[in-house]
Amino acid sequence: MKDLVRQKLSIHVEVMDLLNNQIRKEAQSSSAYLAMASWCDHNGLIYSAEFFYAQAAEEREHMMKIFRFINDNGGTAYSPEVSNILHEYNSLEEIFESALDQEIAITKSIHNIVYKCRKIQDLTTETFLQWFVKEQMEEEQMMRRALELFDLIDANNKPGLKLIDERIPQIRE
Amino acid sequence: MKRLYSSQYFTSFQCDRGRCFYVDFNHKTVKFSFCQLLAFRQQVKNINPKSHFNGENKHGFEILMLCNREHIFILDTVDILDLQELVIGTFGMLELNSILSTSV
Repeated sequence: MKDLVRQKLSIHVEVMDLLNNQIRKEAQSSSAYLAMASWCDHNGLIYSAEFFYAQAAEEREHMMKIFRFINDNGGTAYSPEVSNILHEYNSLEEIFESALDQEIAITKSIHNIVYKCRKIQDLTTETFLQWFVKEQMEEEQMMRRALELFDLIDANNKPGLKLIDERIPQIRE
Repeated sequence: MKRLYSSQYFTSFQCDRGRCFYVDFNHKTVKFSFCQLLAFRQQVKNINPKSHFNGENKHGFEILMLCNREHIFILDTVDILDLQELVIGTFGMLELNSILSTSV
Protein backbone atom coordinates (compact mmCIF):
# COMPACT_ATOMS: atom_id res chain seq x y z
CA MET A 1 0.00 0.00 0.00
CA LYS A 2 1.34 3.42 -0.98
CA ASP A 3 2.21 5.91 1.74
CA LEU A 4 -0.27 8.54 0.52
CA VAL A 5 0.00 10.54 3.73
CA ARG A 6 3.72 11.04 3.21
CA GLN A 7 3.13 11.96 -0.43
CA LYS A 8 0.78 14.74 0.64
CA LEU A 9 2.19 15.80 3.99
CA SER A 10 5.82 16.54 4.93
CA ILE A 11 5.12 16.76 8.64
CA HIS A 12 3.63 14.30 11.10
CA VAL A 13 -0.16 14.50 11.64
CA GLU A 14 0.20 14.66 15.44
CA VAL A 15 2.77 17.44 15.10
CA MET A 16 0.36 19.27 12.82
CA ASP A 17 -2.21 19.14 15.64
CA LEU A 18 0.34 20.52 18.11
CA LEU A 19 1.27 23.29 15.68
CA ASN A 20 -2.39 24.21 15.25
CA ASN A 21 -2.64 24.36 19.00
CA GLN A 22 0.42 26.62 19.01
CA ILE A 23 -1.28 28.90 16.47
CA ARG A 24 -4.11 29.32 18.95
CA LYS A 25 -1.67 30.12 21.77
CA GLU A 26 0.18 32.71 19.68
CA ALA A 27 -3.14 34.33 18.73
CA GLN A 28 -4.21 34.34 22.39
CA SER A 29 -0.88 35.90 23.30
CA SER A 30 -1.21 38.56 20.59
CA SER A 31 -4.68 39.50 21.84
CA ALA A 32 -3.49 39.58 25.46
CA TYR A 33 -0.71 42.01 24.48
CA LEU A 34 -3.28 44.19 22.71
CA ALA A 35 -5.32 44.32 25.92
CA MET A 36 -2.15 45.28 27.84
CA ALA A 37 -1.39 48.00 25.26
CA SER A 38 -4.89 49.35 25.69
CA TRP A 39 -4.56 49.45 29.49
CA CYS A 40 -1.23 51.29 29.22
CA ASP A 41 -2.66 53.74 26.68
CA HIS A 42 -5.58 54.58 28.97
CA ASN A 43 -3.26 55.10 31.91
CA GLY A 44 -0.93 57.51 30.10
CA LEU A 45 1.93 55.03 29.80
CA ILE A 46 2.58 55.74 26.14
CA TYR A 47 5.96 54.03 25.81
CA SER A 48 4.69 50.83 27.41
CA ALA A 49 1.62 51.00 25.18
CA GLU A 50 3.84 51.21 22.08
CA PHE A 51 5.90 48.31 23.41
CA PHE A 52 2.83 46.08 23.77
CA TYR A 53 1.39 47.12 20.40
CA ALA A 54 4.67 45.96 18.87
CA GLN A 55 4.58 42.76 20.93
CA ALA A 56 1.03 42.03 19.72
CA ALA A 57 2.16 42.43 16.11
CA GLU A 58 5.16 40.20 16.74
CA GLU A 59 3.05 37.41 18.24
CA ARG A 60 0.78 37.59 15.23
CA GLU A 61 3.84 37.26 12.98
CA HIS A 62 4.84 34.14 14.92
CA MET A 63 1.35 32.76 14.46
CA MET A 64 1.48 33.44 10.73
CA LYS A 65 4.88 31.75 10.42
CA ILE A 66 3.44 28.55 11.88
CA PHE A 67 0.22 28.93 9.89
CA ARG A 68 2.09 29.15 6.59
CA PHE A 69 4.47 26.34 7.57
CA ILE A 70 1.59 23.93 8.08
CA ASN A 71 -0.09 24.82 4.79
CA ASP A 72 3.19 24.90 2.85
CA ASN A 73 3.88 21.36 3.98
CA GLY A 74 0.56 19.92 2.90
CA GLY A 75 -1.28 20.18 6.20
CA THR A 76 -4.31 22.24 7.12
CA ALA A 77 -3.89 25.25 9.38
CA TYR A 78 -6.97 26.33 11.30
CA SER A 79 -7.79 29.94 12.01
CA PRO A 80 -7.84 30.26 15.80
CA GLU A 81 -10.68 31.40 18.03
CA VAL A 82 -9.62 33.71 20.82
CA SER A 83 -11.61 34.28 23.99
CA ASN A 84 -11.29 35.22 27.66
CA ILE A 85 -8.83 38.05 27.27
CA LEU A 86 -8.12 39.84 30.55
CA HIS A 87 -8.44 43.63 30.32
CA GLU A 88 -8.17 44.61 33.97
CA TYR A 89 -4.81 45.03 35.70
CA ASN A 90 -3.69 46.55 38.99
CA SER A 91 -0.39 47.98 37.86
CA LEU A 92 2.25 48.13 35.13
CA GLU A 93 4.34 45.70 37.14
CA GLU A 94 1.50 43.18 37.14
CA ILE A 95 1.26 43.57 33.37
CA PHE A 96 4.95 42.76 32.87
CA GLU A 97 4.68 39.82 35.26
CA SER A 98 1.76 38.47 33.23
CA ALA A 99 3.73 39.07 30.04
CA LEU A 100 6.67 37.07 31.40
CA ASP A 101 4.36 34.22 32.51
CA GLN A 102 2.82 34.24 29.07
CA GLU A 103 6.22 34.02 27.36
CA ILE A 104 7.30 31.18 29.66
CA ALA A 105 4.13 29.26 28.79
CA ILE A 106 4.80 29.78 25.07
CA THR A 107 8.41 28.62 25.50
CA LYS A 108 7.28 25.45 27.30
CA SER A 109 4.77 24.76 24.59
CA ILE A 110 7.37 25.18 21.81
CA HIS A 111 9.79 22.91 23.70
CA ASN A 112 7.09 20.25 24.04
CA ILE A 113 6.57 20.26 20.28
CA VAL A 114 10.33 19.95 19.75
CA TYR A 115 10.42 16.95 22.13
CA LYS A 116 7.56 15.38 20.20
CA CYS A 117 9.39 15.99 16.89
CA ARG A 118 12.45 14.25 18.27
CA LYS A 119 10.40 11.33 19.52
CA ILE A 120 8.77 10.70 16.16
CA GLN A 121 11.77 11.86 14.10
CA ASP A 122 10.07 14.79 12.38
CA LEU A 123 13.23 16.66 11.41
CA THR A 124 11.41 19.11 9.14
CA THR A 125 9.38 20.61 11.97
CA GLU A 126 12.21 20.39 14.48
CA THR A 127 14.45 22.45 12.19
CA PHE A 128 11.64 24.94 11.63
CA LEU A 129 11.09 25.31 15.38
CA GLN A 130 14.75 26.10 16.13
CA TRP A 131 14.06 29.75 15.22
CA PHE A 132 11.23 29.83 17.78
CA VAL A 133 13.39 28.31 20.53
CA LYS A 134 15.93 31.11 20.07
CA GLU A 135 13.24 33.77 19.72
CA GLN A 136 11.57 32.68 22.98
CA MET A 137 14.87 33.04 24.86
CA GLU A 138 15.01 36.66 23.72
CA GLU A 139 11.35 37.31 24.51
CA GLU A 140 11.69 36.00 28.06
CA GLN A 141 14.87 37.95 28.62
CA MET A 142 13.18 41.15 27.46
CA MET A 143 10.35 40.75 29.97
CA ARG A 144 12.85 40.05 32.75
CA ARG A 145 14.70 43.26 31.90
CA ALA A 146 11.40 45.15 32.19
CA LEU A 147 10.73 43.63 35.62
CA GLU A 148 14.26 44.52 36.76
CA LEU A 149 13.31 48.17 36.28
CA PHE A 150 10.72 47.74 39.03
CA ASP A 151 13.44 46.41 41.34
CA LEU A 152 15.55 49.51 40.67
CA ILE A 153 12.90 52.22 40.58
CA ASP A 154 10.00 52.73 42.96
CA ALA A 155 6.88 52.53 40.79
CA ASN A 156 4.52 53.42 43.64
CA ASN A 157 4.82 57.13 42.89
CA LYS A 158 4.02 58.95 39.67
CA PRO A 159 7.56 60.17 38.80
CA GLY A 160 8.91 56.64 39.35
CA LEU A 161 6.24 55.11 37.14
CA LYS A 162 6.86 57.74 34.47
CA LEU A 163 10.60 57.03 34.61
CA ILE A 164 10.01 53.29 34.17
CA ASP A 165 7.65 53.95 31.25
CA GLU A 166 10.30 56.08 29.53
CA ARG A 167 12.86 53.30 29.94
CA ILE A 168 10.65 50.60 28.37
CA PRO A 169 11.75 51.23 24.73
CA GLN A 170 15.35 50.55 25.80
CA ILE A 171 14.66 46.99 26.95
CA ARG A 172 14.35 45.97 23.28
CA GLU A 173 17.95 47.02 22.66
CA MET B 1 -8.82 -0.30 -2.88
CA LYS B 2 -7.48 -1.38 0.50
CA ARG B 3 -9.41 -1.38 3.73
CA LEU B 4 -7.82 0.77 6.40
CA TYR B 5 -10.13 0.37 9.37
CA SER B 6 -13.61 -0.79 10.24
CA SER B 7 -15.54 0.41 13.25
CA GLN B 8 -18.94 -1.06 14.08
CA TYR B 9 -20.84 1.01 11.50
CA PHE B 10 -18.26 2.61 9.22
CA THR B 11 -15.26 1.55 7.12
CA SER B 12 -12.39 3.53 5.62
CA PHE B 13 -10.39 2.64 2.51
CA GLN B 14 -7.34 3.88 0.67
CA CYS B 15 -7.22 3.92 -3.13
CA ASP B 16 -3.61 3.93 -4.39
CA ARG B 17 -4.53 4.47 -8.02
CA GLY B 18 -6.78 7.47 -7.32
CA ARG B 19 -4.50 8.72 -4.51
CA CYS B 20 -7.59 9.21 -2.38
CA PHE B 21 -9.61 7.75 0.47
CA TYR B 22 -13.15 6.48 0.86
CA VAL B 23 -15.39 6.20 3.88
CA ASP B 24 -18.35 3.86 3.73
CA PHE B 25 -21.12 5.34 5.86
CA ASN B 26 -23.32 2.30 5.18
CA HIS B 27 -25.95 4.07 3.10
CA LYS B 28 -23.42 6.20 1.25
CA THR B 29 -19.73 6.06 0.34
CA VAL B 30 -17.82 9.33 0.26
CA LYS B 31 -14.57 10.01 -1.58
CA PHE B 32 -11.97 12.15 0.23
CA SER B 33 -8.77 13.80 -0.94
CA PHE B 34 -6.12 13.81 1.77
CA CYS B 35 -6.90 17.44 2.61
CA GLN B 36 -10.58 16.61 2.93
CA LEU B 37 -9.74 13.64 5.11
CA LEU B 38 -7.77 15.96 7.41
CA ALA B 39 -10.72 18.36 7.58
CA PHE B 40 -13.06 15.44 8.33
CA ARG B 41 -10.73 14.31 11.10
CA GLN B 42 -10.69 17.80 12.59
CA GLN B 43 -14.49 18.05 12.55
CA VAL B 44 -14.93 14.68 14.21
CA LYS B 45 -12.17 15.37 16.73
CA ASN B 46 -13.78 18.69 17.72
CA ILE B 47 -17.02 17.00 18.76
CA ASN B 48 -17.26 16.58 22.50
CA PRO B 49 -19.44 13.50 23.19
CA LYS B 50 -19.82 14.63 26.82
CA SER B 51 -22.05 17.47 25.58
CA HIS B 52 -24.59 14.79 24.58
CA PHE B 53 -24.89 13.69 28.19
CA ASN B 54 -24.57 16.86 30.24
CA GLY B 55 -27.51 18.71 28.69
CA GLU B 56 -25.37 21.03 26.55
CA ASN B 57 -26.46 19.25 23.37
CA LYS B 58 -30.06 18.42 24.25
CA HIS B 59 -31.13 16.82 20.96
CA GLY B 60 -28.04 14.59 20.83
CA PHE B 61 -27.35 15.13 17.14
CA GLU B 62 -24.34 16.49 15.29
CA ILE B 63 -24.31 17.90 11.78
CA LEU B 64 -21.23 17.27 9.69
CA MET B 65 -20.64 18.96 6.35
CA LEU B 66 -17.92 17.23 4.40
CA CYS B 67 -15.84 17.79 1.27
CA ASN B 68 -16.54 21.49 0.70
CA ARG B 69 -20.16 21.06 1.77
CA GLU B 70 -20.81 18.43 -0.88
CA HIS B 71 -22.17 16.03 1.73
CA ILE B 72 -24.17 16.57 4.87
CA PHE B 73 -24.56 14.04 7.66
CA ILE B 74 -26.79 14.14 10.69
CA LEU B 75 -25.41 11.75 13.26
CA ASP B 76 -26.59 10.64 16.68
CA THR B 77 -24.49 9.96 19.76
CA VAL B 78 -23.78 6.32 18.91
CA ASP B 79 -22.76 7.27 15.36
CA ILE B 80 -20.44 9.98 16.67
CA LEU B 81 -18.71 7.66 19.12
CA ASP B 82 -18.27 5.12 16.35
CA LEU B 83 -17.01 7.75 13.92
CA GLN B 84 -14.43 8.96 16.44
CA GLU B 85 -13.20 5.40 16.74
CA LEU B 86 -13.04 5.15 12.94
CA VAL B 87 -10.96 8.33 12.66
CA ILE B 88 -8.51 7.23 15.35
CA GLY B 89 -8.24 3.77 13.80
CA THR B 90 -7.84 5.10 10.26
CA PHE B 91 -5.07 7.53 11.13
CA GLY B 92 -3.43 4.88 13.29
CA MET B 93 -3.34 2.52 10.32
CA LEU B 94 -2.02 5.27 8.04
CA GLU B 95 0.77 5.95 10.52
CA LEU B 96 1.57 2.27 10.77
CA ASN B 97 1.75 2.12 6.97
CA SER B 98 4.13 5.11 6.96
CA ILE B 99 6.39 3.39 9.50
CA LEU B 100 6.38 0.17 7.47
CA SER B 101 7.06 2.03 4.21
CA THR B 102 10.00 3.86 5.78
CA SER B 103 11.54 0.76 7.33
CA VAL B 104 11.28 -1.44 4.20
